[in-house]
Amino acid sequence: MLAYDLFQLIVFPGALFLFCLAFLYEWVDRKFFAKVQNRYGPLYTGTLGLLQPVADFLKLLYKEDLVPKACDRNIFSSVPIVYVVLPLTTLFIIPISGQTGLVAFNGDLIFVMFIFALMTITVFLAGWSSMSRFSIIGSVRSALQMLSYEIPLGLALIGPAIAAKSLSISSIVQWQSANATWGLWLQPIGFGVFFICMLAELELVPFDIPEADTEIVAGWRTEFSGRKLAMFRLGRDLEIVLASALVTSLFLGGAQPLGLIPPVLVFLVKSLFVVIMLSFARALFARFRIDQMIAGMWKYLLPIAILQIILIQLGLGV
Amino acid sequence: MGYASTIKVPFGPQHPALKEPEHFLFECEGDIVVNVTPRIGYVHRGMEKAFELGTYSHDMYLAERVCGICTSAHTTCYTQAVEELMGVEIPARARYIRTIIAELERLQSHSLWVGIVAHEAGFDTLFMYVWRDREVVMNLFEELTGGRVLHAINTLGGVRRDISPDAVLKIKGGLDYFEKRTKEYLRVIKTERTFLKRTSGVGLLKPDDAASLNAVGPTLRGSGIRNDVRVDDPYIAYGEIPFNLITSDGCDVLSRTVVRTEEMLESINIIRYALDHMPAGEIRVRAPKNAPPGEVVSRVEAPRGELMHYARSNGTAKPERYKVRAPTLANIPSLCKTLMGVHVADIPIILAGIDPCFACMDRMLIIGKKTNEKRYFTR
Amino acid sequence: MADEIVERLQSHLKSDVLEVRVPRARRIFLRVKTTSFKEAIRYAILELGFSHLSSITGIDLGGEIELIYHLAYRNATELSLIIRVPKGDALVPTISDLMPNSALYEREVHDLMGVRFDGLSDLSPLLLPDGWPKEIYPLRKEYTFSDLHEIKLKKS
Repeated sequence: MLAYDLFQLIVFPGALFLFCLAFLYEWVDRKFFAKVQNRYGPLYTGTLGLLQPVADFLKLLYKEDLVPKACDRNIFSSVPIVYVVLPLTTLFIIPISGQTGLVAFNGDLIFVMFIFALMTITVFLAGWSSMSRFSIIGSVRSALQMLSYEIPLGLALIGPAIAAKSLSISSIVQWQSANATWGLWLQPIGFGVFFICMLAELELVPFDIPEADTEIVAGWRTEFSGRKLAMFRLGRDLEIVLASALVTSLFLGGAQPLGLIPPVLVFLVKSLFVVIMLSFARALFARFRIDQMIAGMWKYLLPIAILQIILIQLGLGV
Repeated sequence: MGYASTIKVPFGPQHPALKEPEHFLFECEGDIVVNVTPRIGYVHRGMEKAFELGTYSHDMYLAERVCGICTSAHTTCYTQAVEELMGVEIPARARYIRTIIAELERLQSHSLWVGIVAHEAGFDTLFMYVWRDREVVMNLFEELTGGRVLHAINTLGGVRRDISPDAVLKIKGGLDYFEKRTKEYLRVIKTERTFLKRTSGVGLLKPDDAASLNAVGPTLRGSGIRNDVRVDDPYIAYGEIPFNLITSDGCDVLSRTVVRTEEMLESINIIRYALDHMPAGEIRVRAPKNAPPGEVVSRVEAPRGELMHYARSNGTAKPERYKVRAPTLANIPSLCKTLMGVHVADIPIILAGIDPCFACMDRMLIIGKKTNEKRYFTR
Repeated sequence: MADEIVERLQSHLKSDVLEVRVPRARRIFLRVKTTSFKEAIRYAILELGFSHLSSITGIDLGGEIELIYHLAYRNATELSLIIRVPKGDALVPTISDLMPNSALYEREVHDLMGVRFDGLSDLSPLLLPDGWPKEIYPLRKEYTFSDLHEIKLKKS
């Protein structure tokens, strides 16, 4: 039994599987983004460039690791690891291969919110500790960004929880499967709000303000190189997996078996769909300015999120 | 001492928003720029001195290489100046070919710029599409002149290559495609909400300021001032070709974008007209080796604005003095004015808004071969 | 157009005009006495409406330096206002009070030709690198290209 638990944690659907998924999703994102932009995208490493993200990761691993003199060494070297561990841990909560997550517990939805806040704080520390002008601007922007999307995100997460009368992601998935419906149909507004908040959380266009490359080089990541940068890239990929997994679980029915098709495949298809939507959104817009983003979030997104909650309270979308 | 109320944010010489090395020092109060100090000269190559070394035909190649993007504007200006010094009248067909190449170059340069502005605004998709379609023009250049970047079509006394009837058809086919795409991009620029958010009302340059600070080219026309050397001081074949002067009243980055995009459509019409009305005949006359003593001011509307060359000859085969004033330099004062009071996040897009071409501005070429050792001032 | 402008300039400046040439349409070359330069350029800018300064060119004539102010009227007629100053003591009043953008061109001429502009506060190097030795003005004829090759920059 212990061996099986370990296998689940380490291989499937645990860490190894999630890493593979992270690289796969990065490839999907890059390839789709490139296709939308009329480019080829990764092409040479593996079939259709499928191994390109892995190759990039390995390449970065043996590149020289530069540490700026002025930086706060302890924080500077520990944030990349934290940045990978956070989304990885959270992914254990989410049901992938069955209708319960690996370490699901009651109230894990709150935990997810907490992790999202923590990720931004990690990003802030990463920029702050590297003591570079661009990093600090980037990290301040990322903190500002969090302040603006945090509340709509929370409200959007609460919607499915009210509907399923549970704060556990697994029970939300089970509730959707039991009622043969998706959160998307019941709470389309909440889905939209959540999707926009995910774009902001992942720092994708139009909300890639903290790492706007034409303004502040690479933002909070400017000073990281070598292994640390590799960790950040892996963390980012895992974050994309996390975001797509969350959207899938809360709004798209999650990992439900569909006839003979095993739940993990259903989950993969749905979350791939979310990844494609994310990269499509990334290709469609220009970048907002930080003040425009904050104003937009508070002026439009927050009232809309509240409206969704009111609708739920009125008995719609439950 | 108290604390400094401003922070200094350096921009360049290496910065992802600047494609060429140039330095701007911004003093910011919070997120607002209160002062800006430009420091140019990072790519100074001592070209004006080099012009005095070469003969007129050698300098042709030097003029070609003042700038990579507006190379034909510089050679048009150069040949015009030297031909006037020598008293050479070029054949009518050569004038038309020069016009066609100059307008193709405007297409190429403006579409490059539209891509860059989209990239600065974080709108990479538009950037990729515009640059893909720019290839059409680049391939036409290769077809017509043999070079994608340095066309080397102009020569003293005319042009080097003729445009065959076959090539005329090819140009027209390419233009039809390019026109369709440009209209589409104009629609995207005018309607895409996030792009409008970043450009409309950003980088305001009032018409009064633009005129008194002597801005040139699309920067000036984007502030609603009718000013174009092609119209006001016609050269090569522009006097014989009807076309509209494009202006826009927005005074912001958006109106500069719109001016440039609409200018591309106008350029397409100019090329079509020139192709249809191109007279037959010689493309080149022999130019003498020496120029009699004299001086001349030659002006050309480069894609970025008014380009001015001044030449003085002393009776020998080498110029006594050759002066180049590129449009970017003329736009620096108004750029600094525009940058006052803007958000730090808007700096890149405003900087890109004047279509800066710093190599042109500094008038130089290669950084020395000995840069690894001591820093020499080299050719 | 050009003739009318020349006439008005001549009647205003009278004997201070040393040389006038109108080689072709829309081009005027006018040389004035250095002493009346400021008045000439003020008259051209404010009264005649030459609102655009294209550039300032400096030419080394040997003993003297010739400065050419390229002014444009309605972007069409180009007036080249020429003055000569002695090379040893090249001092010219600035026109940045009339034409704010002239400061840039004046700094350029100062860098490359060694003309000082009276009243121009900022004479820091514009085109030349930091650490360029003083009193070496690359566009003056006494410096050949190979001389300039040997120049070493001072470390700051």
